[in-house]
Parts: sequence; structure tokens; C-alpha cells
Amino acid sequence: MYRKQVRRRRAVLALLIVGSFVLLTLTYQGSRGLQSGVSTIFSPVQSVADRALKPARDLVDWFDKTFDARGENSRLKTQLVKAREQAVAGQEALQENAELRKLVELDRGPALASSGYKEVIARVIGRSPTLWRSSVVLDVGSGDGVRVDDPVISGDGLIGRIASAGPGSSQVMLLTDHDSAISAKVVPPGVQGVIKPEVGNPEELILDFIDSTKDVHGGMAVVTAGWRAQGLESLFPPGLPVGEVTQASIFEREAKEQVPVRPYADLRNLDLVQVLTGGSRE
Amino acid sequence: MIVTPKILTRLLAIGLLGVLLQLSFFSEVELFHVSPDVLPALVVCLGLLGGSMTGAVSGFAIGFFVDCLLVEALGITSLVLLGVGYSAGLFRERFEIHNTLVPALLCMGLTFAAELGFGLIQLLLGLDAPLSPLIIRDLLLKSVYAFFLAWPIYLLVRRVLRPALVDDPKVQRRRQPTVLGA
Repeated sequence: MYRKQVRRRRAVLALLIVGSFVLLTLTYQGSRGLQSGVSTIFSPVQSVADRALKPARDLVDWFDKTFDARGENSRLKTQLVKAREQAVAGQEALQENAELRKLVELDRGPALASSGYKEVIARVIGRSPTLWRSSVVLDVGSGDGVRVDDPVISGDGLIGRIASAGPGSSQVMLLTDHDSAISAKVVPPGVQGVIKPEVGNPEELILDFIDSTKDVHGGMAVVTAGWRAQGLESLFPPGLPVGEVTQASIFEREAKEQVPVRPYADLRNLDLVQVLTGGSRE
Repeated sequence: MIVTPKILTRLLAIGLLGVLLQLSFFSEVELFHVSPDVLPALVVCLGLLGGSMTGAVSGFAIGFFVDCLLVEALGITSLVLLGVGYSAGLFRERFEIHNTLVPALLCMGLTFAAELGFGLIQLLLGLDAPLSPLIIRDLLLKSVYAFFLAWPIYLLVRRVLRPALVDDPKVQRRRQPTVLGA
């Protein structure tokens, strides 16, 4: 009797393990119908749960942020001084830019407007629990015009791109996901590179493959490069803010040809975001 | 555990509620920059109360549901959580649980193992980015959170599944055999 039980238990275990591998194989073959169906059924429930639990989440976040506030305060003060200096320089540059545009009769808006993207506002209704993947679920999907590879931004800057889209929900691969790689450039020097994550560190990205001969230092802004060559085009329009270069050692900059970048968007606390649909890819 | 249709419904409700709470609440809150992961702890509690079969099947089902809702590669979470549930169930079948610390310690250890398992599968499937040393801090903190969250989860799951637990002291007390004629 006991042996029979053990045999049955082992059979069920083997069946479940085989089932997991079958599911994994099916996913990598591109079959996502089942997931899409389940997520369509449950995304309204998830959306309601997300809204209902928001006050409780805010309460926990308040405690966490209070702990962080002390260290953040002195850093922000230093940043404010730098930002003031940059704002003054920026005002001058804007004035000069307007005059130059007049001269060459250019009347183009920001990169985003000229590339014809439409913004779809979405709410984050779920987040991956494991350390090894960095993705969130949005309450908009293909029914709202969202397509795979559409860029996703928050009020602060780029946060990632759509990895998969179902009828009523979609999954965003965040900049910190290990599969993410974005072509970006440092402004003002215009040094180009690839933004990659460091798995397990949501507060820092790496700008890899940069030209070590150019001067890149802390505080410089990193934006999407938005290249176009031989019929191929970057998934992201040019000029979307990504983050700022933090202090990099000479070894990192010259031997490894990479610099650390702090993302502008707080990727750990996302609530409302925008999906940029359409654009020049359509 | 005696699994009747009523108990099966309760198990499904526990799984559904656990997954929704994890994705909409626990994954989105942070304490010391780390979000708690209650799912391995929930599966451990189910395994401890229901045995290895219940643990493995509920781990597989919860993992499948998580992957469906996150629209991620199916099978990874199922594989990890079924291992967690089976191990917890096997522990319960092999050893007597006398100390109330055991479920919490087991939740802590198996949450750590689950995160390592996820990492191992991701490495096997190809990890294109460098690893940050911070991941060790995150792994440890997640396990510590699991230790503290294990108490309420274990008590809640035991309360919901009490009618099906054959070795629960209160159930045993209620099922004292009556002697005819006494």
C-alpha cells in the first residue's frame, strides 16, 4: 500500500516536471495564446485589486521613503545647485536655438511630436516578484492600439518597451531586465553606446561600448540615440531621456569602456505610464 | 489532507488570492529597496499542511497562474514552485513538526532556494547582463521577509484548510471515537 502511494506520488511529480518543460518549450516556440486568454480574463480583476490595494501600498511606501529621505536630502541639495547652473545655460541655449531656427526656417517640434507617436496612458497592475526578471503588467493591450516593441515612458523618462501584448493587458520589459539593450547617447558630447542593466540593481544601468577617448563625466544626460540605417530603425525615437551618468572611475571609462547611468524614472515605483504607439515604424 | 470538492475550492481560492496579492501588492511595495515574495512561503505552507502531492500540485498551479498573468515564459515559475512545494511536503512526511519555528524557518530557507532556482534557470536560458553584488542582499532580505510573513500565512492557511487536516489537534479532538452504550 505504502509502495503504491510512493509510486503514485513519484509519477505525479514526474508528470508535473514534464508539464513544466512542455510549457517552457511551447512558450519559446512562440505560442502565447493560453497566457493571453488567462490574462484577458483576469486583467479586470487585477485592475480592481490594484486600485483597492493602492492605499495600503502607499502606506508601506511612506515608511520606506521616510527611511530613504535623509540620505536623499543632501544629494538633492547638491543636484539643485548644479541644476540651477544648467538651467541658466539652458535658457541661453534655447534663445540661441530659436534664433538659429528662424535663420534656417526650421519649425520642427520635439523629437516625439515629429515622429508621429500617439500616447496611450496606462496603469501598472502587476509586477514580477522575482529578482531575476524586471517586468510590469499594464492595463492596456492590443485593443488599445498597443503593439509589441512600443516604447513606454513615465513622467521622468524612458522605462522600457512592450514585450508582449494581449487584448486587454500587456507586459513591459523594463530597462533593468536582463534582456533589455537600448542604443543611447550621452549629451552634449554625443558619445554613443548601449544601455544595459546590471541584474539585481534597479538603481543603476550601464552605458556600454562607449568611445573612451571622449570626455564623459558625472551629471551628463543620457538619451535614446534613435538611429536609422539601411532600412533598419531603432525601436525608440531619438531624444527620450533615459538617465544621467554617475561618477565613473577611469578604469571603468577607459579599460571597460562603460559608465554607470542612474535612470531618471523610478523603476521601482511605477503607477501611471505612457505607451508610445504608432510612430514611424508603422 | 483529505481533498474534497469543497477543500479543492478553498485551495483554488487561496492560490488565486495569494497570486493577486503578490502581483498587486507585495511586488509593488518595498522595504529597504526589496519587495517581499510571499508565493514560495504560501506554497511551503500548503506543502507542510497537505503533504508532498498537495505541495507539488499547488506549486505548479500557482506558478502557472503567475506566468499567465505576467505574460512571461510559462513553466519557469511552475518548475521552481513545484520543487518548493514538494520539498516542504516531503519534510512534513519525514519529520514531526514540534516547534512553531519550523514553518517559518522552512519558508525562509525555501524562499532562498526558490530565488536561487529562478537564477539558475535564467542562467541556463541565457543571461546577457552582468550580475550586481546587490543581488545577494536582495536574496537575503527576501528570505528574511519570508520568515516573518510565514507566521500569518501558515496560520491563515491552516485555518482555511482545517476541516481537511487529519493530524490537526482540534480536528482530532472533535473526532474522538464514541463508545457505544457509554
